Amino acid sequence: MMRGDQANRLNNGGLIDRTAPLSFRFDGKNFLGFKGDTLASALVANGIKLVGRSFKYHRPRGILTAGSEEPNALVELRSGARREPNTKATTAELYEGLEAASQNRWPSLNFDVMSVNQLFAPIFVAGFYYKTFMWPAKFWEAIYEPAIRRAAGLGRAAGVSDPDHYDKAWAHCDVVIAGSGPAGLAAALAAGRSGARVILCEEDFVLGGRLLADGGTIDGLPAAEWIAGAVAELTAMPDVRIMRRTTLFGVYDGGTYGAIERVNDHLPVPPEHQVRQRLWRIVAKRCVVAAGAIERPIVFAGNDTPGVMMASAMRSYINRYAATPARRIALFTNNEDGWRTAETAIAAGLQVAAVIDARPDVSPAHRSLASKGGFPVLHGSVSAVDRGKAGVRKISVALTGGARAEVEADGLAVSGGWNPAVGLTSYHRGRPKWRDDIAAFVPDGAPPGMVAAGAANGAFGLGACLREGFEAGAAAARDAGRGGNIGSMPVADDEAFSLTPLWHVAGNGKAFVDQQHDVTASDVELAQREGFQSVEHLKRYTTLGMATDQGKTSNVAGLAIMAAVTGKSIPETGTTIYRPPYVPVAIGAFAGHHRDENFHATRLTPSHHWAAEQGAVFVDTGLWKRAQWYPRAGEKDWLESVTREVKAVRSGVGFCDVSTLGKIDVHGPDAGAFLDRVYINAFSSLAVGKARYGLMLREDGIVYDDGTTSRLAEDHYFLTTTTAKAGLVMQHLEFCRQVLFPELDVQLTSVSDQWAQFSIAGPKTRDLLKEIVDPAEDLSNEGFPFMGAREVKLRGGLKARLFRISFSGEMAFEISVPARYGEAMARNLMLAGKPFGVTPYGTEALGVMRIEKGHVAGPELNGTTTAGDLGLGKMMSTKKDFIGRVMAGREALTVPNRQVVVGIKPTDKARRLRSGAHIIPKGETPGPENDQGYVTSVCFSPVLDQWIGLGLVERGRERIGEIVRAHDPLRGEDYDVEFCNSVFYDPDGGRQRG
Amino acid sequence: MADFSWDIRSPLDRALVAGPYGAQGEAGVSLTEIRNFDLVQVMARRGKAGETIAAAKARLGAAAPETPKAVSIADATVIWSGPDQFFVLSKGGKHSIDALASVFAGSASLSDQSHARALISISGDKARAMLAKLSSIDLHPDVFGVGAAAATSMDHTSVTLWRGDDRNGQAVFNLLVFATFAESLWHTILDSAAEHGVTIGHSEDLA
Amino acid sequence: MRIICPFCGERELGEFTYLGDAKPQRPAADAGEDAVYDYVYLRDNIAGVISEYWYHGGGCRAWLKVTRNTLTHEISAVEPAAGAGAAKVGA
Repeated sequence: MMRGDQANRLNNGGLIDRTAPLSFRFDGKNFLGFKGDTLASALVANGIKLVGRSFKYHRPRGILTAGSEEPNALVELRSGARREPNTKATTAELYEGLEAASQNRWPSLNFDVMSVNQLFAPIFVAGFYYKTFMWPAKFWEAIYEPAIRRAAGLGRAAGVSDPDHYDKAWAHCDVVIAGSGPAGLAAALAAGRSGARVILCEEDFVLGGRLLADGGTIDGLPAAEWIAGAVAELTAMPDVRIMRRTTLFGVYDGGTYGAIERVNDHLPVPPEHQVRQRLWRIVAKRCVVAAGAIERPIVFAGNDTPGVMMASAMRSYINRYAATPARRIALFTNNEDGWRTAETAIAAGLQVAAVIDARPDVSPAHRSLASKGGFPVLHGSVSAVDRGKAGVRKISVALTGGARAEVEADGLAVSGGWNPAVGLTSYHRGRPKWRDDIAAFVPDGAPPGMVAAGAANGAFGLGACLREGFEAGAAAARDAGRGGNIGSMPVADDEAFSLTPLWHVAGNGKAFVDQQHDVTASDVELAQREGFQSVEHLKRYTTLGMATDQGKTSNVAGLAIMAAVTGKSIPETGTTIYRPPYVPVAIGAFAGHHRDENFHATRLTPSHHWAAEQGAVFVDTGLWKRAQWYPRAGEKDWLESVTREVKAVRSGVGFCDVSTLGKIDVHGPDAGAFLDRVYINAFSSLAVGKARYGLMLREDGIVYDDGTTSRLAEDHYFLTTTTAKAGLVMQHLEFCRQVLFPELDVQLTSVSDQWAQFSIAGPKTRDLLKEIVDPAEDLSNEGFPFMGAREVKLRGGLKARLFRISFSGEMAFEISVPARYGEAMARNLMLAGKPFGVTPYGTEALGVMRIEKGHVAGPELNGTTTAGDLGLGKMMSTKKDFIGRVMAGREALTVPNRQVVVGIKPTDKARRLRSGAHIIPKGETPGPENDQGYVTSVCFSPVLDQWIGLGLVERGRERIGEIVRAHDPLRGEDYDVEFCNSVFYDPDGGRQRG
Repeated sequence: MADFSWDIRSPLDRALVAGPYGAQGEAGVSLTEIRNFDLVQVMARRGKAGETIAAAKARLGAAAPETPKAVSIADATVIWSGPDQFFVLSKGGKHSIDALASVFAGSASLSDQSHARALISISGDKARAMLAKLSSIDLHPDVFGVGAAAATSMDHTSVTLWRGDDRNGQAVFNLLVFATFAESLWHTILDSAAEHGVTIGHSEDLA
Repeated sequence: MRIICPFCGERELGEFTYLGDAKPQRPAADAGEDAVYDYVYLRDNIAGVISEYWYHGGGCRAWLKVTRNTLTHEISAVEPAAGAGAAKVGA
């Protein structure tokens, strides 16, 4: 059942395709529109005037504008997961099956119970949040906020994950142009003809800007024909890119511009594999802002009544969309341009009820238009609007000289003049300047490389727009080094523009400045009385201009009213700071591809897919996916699996992929000297074929990173870092090489991805290795001693590097092969180790064994600890300079009461130790004054059959055997623990050397 | 004695599925992974940039690029990778690190990167449109011509990108990515290319 | 923001990592604690032109000295660190 017969659609004209009817639903009712319509124009064609309720007072609101400046006609577009609140009906392109719902009303648009808010209007005045809901504080979250949220607010978010995709892209050009009105098209023609790479962004889905509604004659052609010719010429240029449905929303340093392209918002659902929107970062040598101007309302009582519409918007609906917002139109203007709406109405066969002109004089041409059209010209202002069921019904006019008049009309067009769109030009804290002749702010300079042209620059005549645009486009191309023939400039006449400023008509009843945030003229006056006179204070106190439209139709009026009540001029009053984005941009577009599993890039170890086949549980470690443990059937939890893995290693043999460690080739004649300066201990003295544990400090004396470094040749070291710091250590070492020690002949390369590295540990390690390593290689204690490092041949001829280092405390080797052999290595270790019960182990078992062995890791290398704190102070060489040496020696880092690493175990063997528990002396009250440190790392030790841990505790090493409290307020626990040697397992190291 | 097999596996072995992907119809993007190559990073030692370039020329017959360029010779490509350093990309061991060690002895430090990267060749009508989603650099033919190279980032991951010789009148972009990032970046590439239609393959031959 | 890397050409900010003021020089080994303290901790907070270190880690891995106006973000010069590439410096 189709409802709505497009009764307000003209029979002819408009840029709509009458052969392509589109059905759509608004608030559950079916309507028809045409291809080429916006939702707003289709609603206008169907006679729908009431489209939403306002933010605070739930007042009925209609359509005010025909563009992205719209404050009122916000709808929830689409349904379900795609429901998008606060979508402007004025820019939403109609498509078959479009579904939209009005916002902020309950239970229905026509009957809204919250409109009783109007009765409580006195409490909703400026600053009402601060005044009304002050006390008691606890009421705020429980009562005030939920109530306000229900009563005031805009649309509802979908509440579920957005099913559509967004992406981001880069573009590069000589000249980017914002807007495709006469100035923008002329700029594109000049720049394009000169050979420049041009990007022309137009937020509308049709090029032409105001020409689409206001027409005109250019180069002797009707506007539509001229546009078609210009677009055809531009389209034929290979280096000109025309981007429709794309808003240039921001400008950033270095000639980078942000643009949002609504790729598929005009379709119900994006086609398969396509995105809904794309965020563009455009790098341009020059930018021409031809974003036009925004017609501004005049503030008067009842100016928010449905049926009150901007005069230019009314022309857009009639001329571009062949849709009539009213049958009998009154026009309230203070300028020449507004009269065009009367002309348009007459041409469309509509009645003009009256023109209310605030100026003392009207041009003879318009006077004769009035007499021919048979309507009166009333000199004065609208003082009130009488609202019927269908919106505007009767208009009260305060005539110049004091008399009153009434005009019956169902639509009121308003023109208060034009405000150039100064957003883009002002985004780098630019302040626009005031021009008295047009009573408007115009750009006063712009970010580097940017220039405004046409209406955006305050040039309102068609001829001037073309001229400024063309010249700006030519200059921009020239500045970008393009010198082609720009051809002839398009020419048109300039219309007269005269205006008498009028911002606010005093009267009874609410007169709205910011319709989206329901800020009235009296709110502005109240703010002034209460001392909030600065425009920045005015904005925040009243919330004027802070809604989704960012005050495009309200800011200037608001500060003009403030100027009037403070007795200052408008330029003295000034503007607030302009900030991007020019239109709202969905967070999804900023995220682009980076959501869900693509939130960040991931790194996979060479044996990842093998581990996945084994059923490994993976853990995110930075960007890495690492095998955390390998559960086996029947194991009830992670602890059981991890305990099995540890026992298998300690009694037999296991292996673990440790390829995530950062690996750096350090080459060059001065490689040893270089490492001496970056590590606290010496490396130039390391023999070829040997590995050594090294500790790096920051220049402030705090530990930065640790790892083993092996000397593979006289001029080649192989350095490893922790997984977490791999990238940062590389950056740090390059800083040392390039900035601090450029005299050293050393070269650095990351080889992290070149090598698949496995730790093989346990008493049967050698047995396993003998299976896999060429029999000619001597793996005995003599032939390959502890901390040995060298290349070996494997069975089959493959070369590998073997390092006799141990993190687990067991007899262990690390073996590395080129990464593409990593998966084969894992399989071969399983094969070779089968007779010895080889067990793959994950990062949890690795962690358990390092705690049992008292090795420090991330929780101890936490950016506050010194080498001494970690029990590694003796490693600090006194024979050489190294990074951090001097600061490590300062008093605060060497005092005896520092928190140092110590072993910790609960006195009750059955008790689970938790990391984060605070150490409090027995008998003391927990609190900062008695806090002596905390537990950093814990594990269940299968060897000791109890939970153990490491901690950073004041004088910990001197207090072995002391019993203290582990106080854990987070978990509500408090229990006794004993300090012990941090090396719980094999403290003399016999096993790893055996 | 166990019978070991040392299968070699590219980092994209699992992720790459040869055939069409994404939008149907004529593929706008062609992706080919090149497998099993030799890649050696050559870094001149202090004060020896000239000697290193001369050594490269003597060995390869082409001067190593001193600016972001890639130079193709009969059996190798030399790609700039940073100031006074470059990659030698080849197949079959002729210019492997062992083969090059004596060439640059004393003039440069060598690091084997053969297994540290995956190599993806990208072409097709929409290759630039797709790459614009990944790369912040300007790939316009006037700016990034045949032989241009860049050390840059994609998806916050370091890559080496260069333009090889055109194939069938179309630009060919070659991309070296870190092996451990390769699968992740591959999925990002597929997501970026899907709307254009993709044809996917792998090859043992350098372009 | 965009930085013209002397080796790679103009690149976007995301390829670079900021370190800070390039003026403080690492003191000689025997300079004493006060000199090192100043080097590690004391920085001018300049409203205007400053020379600072940036790392082109997302590109050629060169450390760069960038002259930048902190008020306008205008970059007036970029030069490589003394030891970038194979440059021979000092000893």
